[in-house]
Amino acid sequence: MGDLFSNLSLGFGVALSLQNLGLAFLGCLVGTLIGVLPGVGPIATIAMLLPITFGLDPTGALIMLAGIYYGAQYGGSTTAILVNIPGEATSVVTALDGHEMAKQGRAGVALGIAAIGSFFAGTVATLVIAALGAPLTGLALVFGPTEYFSLMVMGLVFAVVLARGSILKAIAMILVGVLLSTVGTDLETGEERMTFGLPFLADGIDFAVLAMGIFGIAEIMRNLDHTEHRDVVRQAIGRLLPNRDDFRQSYKPVLRGTFIGAILGILPGNGAVLGPFASYTLEKKIAKDPRRFGRGAIEGVAGPESANNAGAQTSFIPLLTLGIPPNAVMALMVGAMTIHGIIPGPQVMTKNPTLFWGMIASMWVGNLMLLVINLPMVGMWVRLLKVPYRLLFPAILMFCCIGIYSINSLPTDVMFIGLFGFVGYALIKFGFEPAPMLLGFVLGKLMEENLRRALIISRGSLETFIDHPISAGLLAVAAILLVIALLPSIRKGRDEVFTE
Amino acid sequence: MSALHEGSEPPRHRGPVRAPQSLAGGLLLVALAALALFLTRDLDQGTLNAMGPAMLPRWLAIGVGLSGLALLTAAFLKDGDLLERWSLRGPVFVIGAILAFALTIRGYSFGTFAIPGLGLLVAGPLAIILGGFATPEARLRDLVILALSLTPFCMVLFGDLLNLPIPVFPQAITGLFPADWSQKAVLRACAALMAAGAVVVYLATRNRRPGPVDVADHSGRI
Repeated sequence: MGDLFSNLSLGFGVALSLQNLGLAFLGCLVGTLIGVLPGVGPIATIAMLLPITFGLDPTGALIMLAGIYYGAQYGGSTTAILVNIPGEATSVVTALDGHEMAKQGRAGVALGIAAIGSFFAGTVATLVIAALGAPLTGLALVFGPTEYFSLMVMGLVFAVVLARGSILKAIAMILVGVLLSTVGTDLETGEERMTFGLPFLADGIDFAVLAMGIFGIAEIMRNLDHTEHRDVVRQAIGRLLPNRDDFRQSYKPVLRGTFIGAILGILPGNGAVLGPFASYTLEKKIAKDPRRFGRGAIEGVAGPESANNAGAQTSFIPLLTLGIPPNAVMALMVGAMTIHGIIPGPQVMTKNPTLFWGMIASMWVGNLMLLVINLPMVGMWVRLLKVPYRLLFPAILMFCCIGIYSINSLPTDVMFIGLFGFVGYALIKFGFEPAPMLLGFVLGKLMEENLRRALIISRGSLETFIDHPISAGLLAVAAILLVIALLPSIRKGRDEVFTE
Repeated sequence: MSALHEGSEPPRHRGPVRAPQSLAGGLLLVALAALALFLTRDLDQGTLNAMGPAMLPRWLAIGVGLSGLALLTAAFLKDGDLLERWSLRGPVFVIGAILAFALTIRGYSFGTFAIPGLGLLVAGPLAIILGGFATPEARLRDLVILALSLTPFCMVLFGDLLNLPIPVFPQAITGLFPADWSQKAVLRACAALMAAGAVVVYLATRNRRPGPVDVADHSGRI
């Protein structure tokens, strides 16, 4: 316990320096500014804003990136509440009751409780990370390549189970993602694979390029298909601070949401996505009058928003302790860390404690910033949301181009976001969900490396994955999950959760 | 250019295909798998003990292909979704804008034919105006104003304040300014000129707002 506090105070010493406070503030601000744009989720936001952190020292850059991430998350919720356009899967749930509240002239309260719930969840999640960081890093030492491989298999199975729509399509997307990650030079033999002989493919496909194409550009193309009917709330935003009644109704959902979100966020395979859904379903189940949900129930905003933010934050845990990015946003963080010369994993904490604890402390600072800057600035976000899409998307397009060009200074990267944008658009049209593909891509390289090592150690015997107890356990969990997801009765329930 | 090319929306016919979306998805996966298998045909698969470069891609491709086949089969057995409507206009203009940006930002040469590096000064407005036409509601006047105001903002932000290694203006342009001006000074001057251009266009065309969609650009530059 004493360790925890000395570590946290070390962290706050770093995070509360004037420069880092400023960076956290700036990150939250620009993150919200971009994240609030309809159709721009956290992934596209981070990929777009990644270059602005290049000139900073690693600690400052990561603090700013974390700020951008939280800002983008909160910006997405703002859009969901005010315009009913969720920027990403996790704010879909917020839109249900949040937008109804906005229509009733309670947009301010919805935004306020979202911010307060998120802040509370963020505070708890920060403590969870600080408490679990050290022991989980110890766990990483027990993990050999065999265990790592099985853990990632489990993560991918999670992603399949959590994906919307057909399970077969989700599996196909995962496989395509891993396949894409094998493009480029083979690390072991140095042979080029599937590069068409093109020199810029020799290093493989850049993750930021793939993510920007699939989530930024494809989203623009998809939005252009629908003629625009954005109903920005016309009612007054109303008071921002929830009153006593609102608090009484929402403090329990916030607590439960935080708990659910924090636990699901730790799971590899984008468990954080499930948090808001789970929280919403739970609140609806235990509510005295479930009919209020979907008609502006404050619990339907407070719970999922807390779960969302708790999950967003605890999903740093697999990355910081095991070096495995559990979702696409964390994969972008890996990219950002690598650019600054940090290889994410258990060694970060021991080798670079100021960075590790500084970043954790800055998570809390970032959440506080959100509370402080967002509530007074709601009016500005509303005005931004009234800009018609025909003017917004060319601007987004140019920012995407500049952002991606600045990462590697390669015009071919810019061309590739166009290509991947079209691929993403086609995938959406064919009913595939791109998120599992991205996760497959993220984990692909690590999986191949660990598979190869595990097989070398076991002299080519696949039994090694069952002989190691931890690995066998992880694989068993994966198998059970898959079987459960395929059972007809559960499948129906799963579909219901997602269509709600 | 304004014609909207609608994709095919097949009528629900009672043919053997019961889920056109799955059929298309399946074909896509099978094609992808075939491509991957073709590209890795010369690579060594190795053994489990010493995995070759082709081991994982090949098995993944087989997996993708099998999923594709399963989807194809399902398309004939189970009723499913129709293919969604495709529009060509959006993707064509968006990709066109991205390509225009990529080709002009630093210059690009295809053998004998070369595009000079024009920097953000040209690539930015090009991407905005070309991309803007991806929607049928596009208005040239608004896009020109947007381009002329957003580009200088980005030039100052990325080139001046953040010092990102992004080409901002064509080198030829420095000849137009006094020789002792630094790169940054030229950048700021360009940005100021563009912003002024945006104001001029805005004021000059203000009265015509409800007028025809394609208001002429009076500033003389795009």
